Amino acid sequence: MITVHFFDVPHEIYWGLLIALYFYYTGMSAGSFILTSLGTVFGIEKYKKVSKVGVIMAIVLLLFAPLHLLFDLSQPGRFINLFTHVNLTSAMSWGVYLLILYPACLMIYAWFLFRQDFVKGLNQGGFKASLYRFLLFGKTDMSEASKENDKKQAKFFGTLGVPLALAVHGYTGFILGNVQARAIWHTPLMPIIFLMSAMVSGTGLFIIVLMLVEKFKFGRLNEDIKALIADIANLMKWFIVVDGALMIIYFIVLWYSSESGYAAGYFLLHNEGWSFLGLENILGMLVPLLILLSKKARQSLPAVVIASVLTIIGVLAMRINLVIGGQKLPLTGSKIVEYVTSGQDIAIVLGIALAVIVVLSFLYSVLPMNRPGAQERAEIQGNKTIPTTKGVAQ
Amino acid sequence: MGKRYAMVIDLRKCVGCHACEVACKSENNVPLGVNRSWVEELETGKFPNVSRHRLPRLCNHCENPSCLNVCPVKATYQLEDGTVLVDYERCIGCKYCIAACPYDARFINRERKTAEKCTYCHDRVAAGLLPACVNTCIGGARYFGDLNDPQSEVAKLLATEAVTVSKPETNNRPQTYYIRADEKALRPNLLNIVGGGK
Ligand code: SF4
Ligand code: SF4
Repeated sequence: MITVHFFDVPHEIYWGLLIALYFYYTGMSAGSFILTSLGTVFGIEKYKKVSKVGVIMAIVLLLFAPLHLLFDLSQPGRFINLFTHVNLTSAMSWGVYLLILYPACLMIYAWFLFRQDFVKGLNQGGFKASLYRFLLFGKTDMSEASKENDKKQAKFFGTLGVPLALAVHGYTGFILGNVQARAIWHTPLMPIIFLMSAMVSGTGLFIIVLMLVEKFKFGRLNEDIKALIADIANLMKWFIVVDGALMIIYFIVLWYSSESGYAAGYFLLHNEGWSFLGLENILGMLVPLLILLSKKARQSLPAVVIASVLTIIGVLAMRINLVIGGQKLPLTGSKIVEYVTSGQDIAIVLGIALAVIVVLSFLYSVLPMNRPGAQERAEIQGNKTIPTTKGVAQ
Repeated sequence: MGKRYAMVIDLRKCVGCHACEVACKSENNVPLGVNRSWVEELETGKFPNVSRHRLPRLCNHCENPSCLNVCPVKATYQLEDGTVLVDYERCIGCKYCIAACPYDARFINRERKTAEKCTYCHDRVAAGLLPACVNTCIGGARYFGDLNDPQSEVAKLLATEAVTVSKPETNNRPQTYYIRADEKALRPNLLNIVGGGK
């Protein structure tokens, strides 16, 4: 039947790039934290080396993530209302508390990871020493008992951090999943899909950050780190497998659901094909998976870097496809709703990304990033006779 | 029993003049480019078998409003009489309500910088007047009143006519009842829009 709408009013897409980026950042924060908690929390010894790199990255990503939201508000000055008025039926309201608890927990956890290194760094003088003194809050006790306590507390707060990380990103899945008006969002899989893709992109970004930190801090990538990266790449492979499986399940059920579900599936395949199939699923998932299937590739740094970059791009595309694509399907009327990215939004996104890079570089350069197994350089340079850093990250 | 306001729109009487849309704009000072109340029009079929349909739309003042459920600061609230309102002093402009309303009823008022939508002309109704759209409708197609009062026009129409609502499956329980609305106007024909139809 031919139907022609000849009068209709235009509607607008209100949740754009900034919201997609917010989901993306919290995801990478949760993903990188969960990955690096494998050492402290789950006791997998080799991951203890990288807990410190991971926790700093997770904290910084999470502190900057909500800025996207803040800039997206029409009344940014009123954000305080989020704290003074709670609505238990709103997933966004749940998030407010998670966005405070999670980074707070991570900061305490990080403090216990770093405390002994701060104490050791006190005698070097200069800016770093004053910074460490400040950060120590007077807790310079280096007795066995207090070291034991550091370990215990780090484990406690790290363990608490894992469910919080799951929640802080899972809740963003509920923000979309709870919206029954839009078939493309309204699925119980949404929080899990968000979490799994966050593991993928968080791991991808972590690998790259880890390489950079090691390179700048220690001048080269040690064999043990290379082996660990191969190991992480192997994990990333499995994350991609699970994420891909979830995506396939999501899509099949969407296809066979209501008319709007089917239309959404069709829309993703055809109208958004290059981005959904091309960027998100082929380039962002299939290609890195194929690369990482080979053991040889997992041991080759360039191959792992390529795979990591691809997953980071792929998951970004996924967030954009879901958040913005989901609103392109009209709820009334007769037209696809068009989205145009505003120059202001792009400037904000780039500005925040730049700020994250600057802050991360600053923190990695001033914080004591030494780790078990990395004391060789100090030995080579002869400033210390006996390495004392063993086990600090535990 | 308290009041429960609702609207009934009899499409047999709607002439498609858009006067309601204009009255709403001027009554509520609605900025350009956005609408609290509007009329969709469509034509279906092929000559000589054709028909033309209209569908006035506005906020449905749902019994279970998704906009209210998702608002993180409870800026969207519902009165005893069912009217769903936005507290313009409290709204932070997060736009979650806009994303969650199944009826495109909401938008951001760029001058006030908050979410906004039809209020059933709350001030007019409180003063004993009818909403501007109902007041102005030249076909007399729009009825507004209290569903809990069996003598009200809306209650009588609901009792005597076959009515439909837009997207009953949403569990929003929308309170705009249409008499003789065409199914093709009540929801977007997605398969036509994105493709994928046979
Ligand atoms: S129509 Fe939309 S804005 Fe109006 S009450 Fe229902 S959900 Fe809320
Ligand atoms: S835009 Fe305003 S009314 Fe809508 S959900 Fe956000 S705070 Fe509530």
